[in-house]
Amino acid sequence: GDSWGIFTFLCAALCNLPALPALNCSEELGAGQSIQQTYDLTRYLEHQLRTLAGTYLNYLGPPFNEPDFNPPRLARAERVPSATVDLDLWRGLTDNARLAANYRAYSRLLCYLRVLDGQVGTAELRHRLGHFCASLQGLVLSIGGVMSSLGYPLPTGPAGPPTPPGAPAAPNDFLKKMDDFWLLKELQTWLWRSAKDFNRLKKKVPPAVVTLRLEARGF
Amino acid sequence: VSPAADPAVISPQDPTLLIGSSLVATCTVSPDFPLKAEDLYWTLNGRRLPAASYAALGPSTLSVALARLNGSRQQSGDNLVCHSRDGGILAGSCLYVGLPPEKPVNITCWSKNMKDLTCKWAPGTEGETFLHTNYTLKYKRRWYGQDNTCQEYHTAGTYSCHIPKDLALFTPYEIWVEASNRLGVAVSDVVMLDILDVVTTDPPSDVHVSRVGDLEDQLSVRWSSPPALKDFLFQAKYQIQYRVEDSSEWKVVDDVGNQTSCRLAGLRPGTVYFVQVRCNPFSIYGSKKAGIWSDWSNPTAASTPRSERVAGGCDPKGGEQNTTLRRELKQFFGWVKKHAYGCSNLGIKLYDQWRVWLQKSHKARNQV
Repeated sequence: GDSWGIFTFLCAALCNLPALPALNCSEELGAGQSIQQTYDLTRYLEHQLRTLAGTYLNYLGPPFNEPDFNPPRLARAERVPSATVDLDLWRGLTDNARLAANYRAYSRLLCYLRVLDGQVGTAELRHRLGHFCASLQGLVLSIGGVMSSLGYPLPTGPAGPPTPPGAPAAPNDFLKKMDDFWLLKELQTWLWRSAKDFNRLKKKVPPAVVTLRLEARGF
Repeated sequence: VSPAADPAVISPQDPTLLIGSSLVATCTVSPDFPLKAEDLYWTLNGRRLPAASYAALGPSTLSVALARLNGSRQQSGDNLVCHSRDGGILAGSCLYVGLPPEKPVNITCWSKNMKDLTCKWAPGTEGETFLHTNYTLKYKRRWYGQDNTCQEYHTAGTYSCHIPKDLALFTPYEIWVEASNRLGVAVSDVVMLDILDVVTTDPPSDVHVSRVGDLEDQLSVRWSSPPALKDFLFQAKYQIQYRVEDSSEWKVVDDVGNQTSCRLAGLRPGTVYFVQVRCNPFSIYGSKKAGIWSDWSNPTAASTPRSERVAGGCDPKGGEQNTTLRRELKQFFGWVKKHAYGCSNLGIKLYDQWRVWLQKSHKARNQV
């Protein structure tokens, strides 16, 4: 009811981190290494997610934990940013757009996961979720660091279409379970996609990245 | 743009039920969807429910009768789902089937160094309510003061809570636990205690066990009193327990008093012993009561020396050869100490420890 609206609003406010302090890693590491680290982090998170998702889906119970489960994606579930994108569109993304899409998606996903953490029943799940959220926060910061070191501004404002305040996220417990299922699915897809995004970036960013930054400043 | 209507509506939506109760649920397809009652079927936790339990209550409404429900398979609720013929999900309802909570029991509390209070309890005898049960530990000073709620849970196991500060001494507290779930609330009996009655402390630190010269049947144990002792007006008494490496039977030394060293006697020569020490604060602010024993310190190991002159030889592999070998080794080590540098650790004692280890690993190998 009301508390859900407040949750959603708070989330939107908290997640609009306008200015993440630019990590100094550019001085020591260089964008090339940061990209590699971010790539490694997405692989690590992918691995962590497998265990988390397994535990969580068992908590939701059958049919959610059945391997071939594929429920309809109802309109309300589209709040979660989708990773699936047209192949040509994906290929044509500029480095800035590519990084920004990742940054926005994970900031939003982190938000939803944190809300989940506050509600979930068992101590084991809370522990796993908490751990995962911390790692995911690390990924967001890592992407922010890469963007800063390449001279790109961090995305500000609400990530994606803003949810109307007060709109209930899920009007009943079963629909909420479906939302949770899709949240985990999208996380999985995003991590799978990010590995490819960062692989692509790795090849494009030369080791001597100083030249890139000077060009950016020249604008 | 108005959001798309849900394909169907289930009633009751997310009900809470007592174990053994029955339920009739209905699935009504939205008028926008071209489905009839005969196009629908039900599943519960992924398993299809028998058509015999269905009834069409209208052109687009199908009901299902569930009898004598068991406790929920998962605490997030049983998944009752209404499907269209091709398997698609139209709507779902989470059934919470269980029991109201039982009174929590066996509340025990202890205070670490008079600074805080940790309490643990057990759920009532049934334990499994099938529903998520919330436990709240509450406390208040007897005769006055408001109810306070403990905030830090699971510090000493699932059913525990830790109160870190703002506790008064020399005053009785009332402590109880409330258990609540979707079906009701249960309150434990009230426990009354004074913090000073349940004081414990950290185990002693720096426990060292060493030989007493060449004495084969003795070991000397030394330790430090727990650091918190200096700050408070209590004394400490100690207890030591020790066992032979291969045995699981601990021998306890009770009359250690408040010294921080003790000599164990009557031990077997050439044997490895494990030793632990624990501490109990007493005479707190002059009271005659004892506190609660601390945990045992981590086990420390040491071995008693073995004299070569033991007649008969306890060494099963023994024989003339070995005593000759040993004597010669001892002489060699003596010479090494005099003439070589940096070999101070090499000595007959090291050889003894190696023998003990050899016997132990030999025995382990033979047992498999």
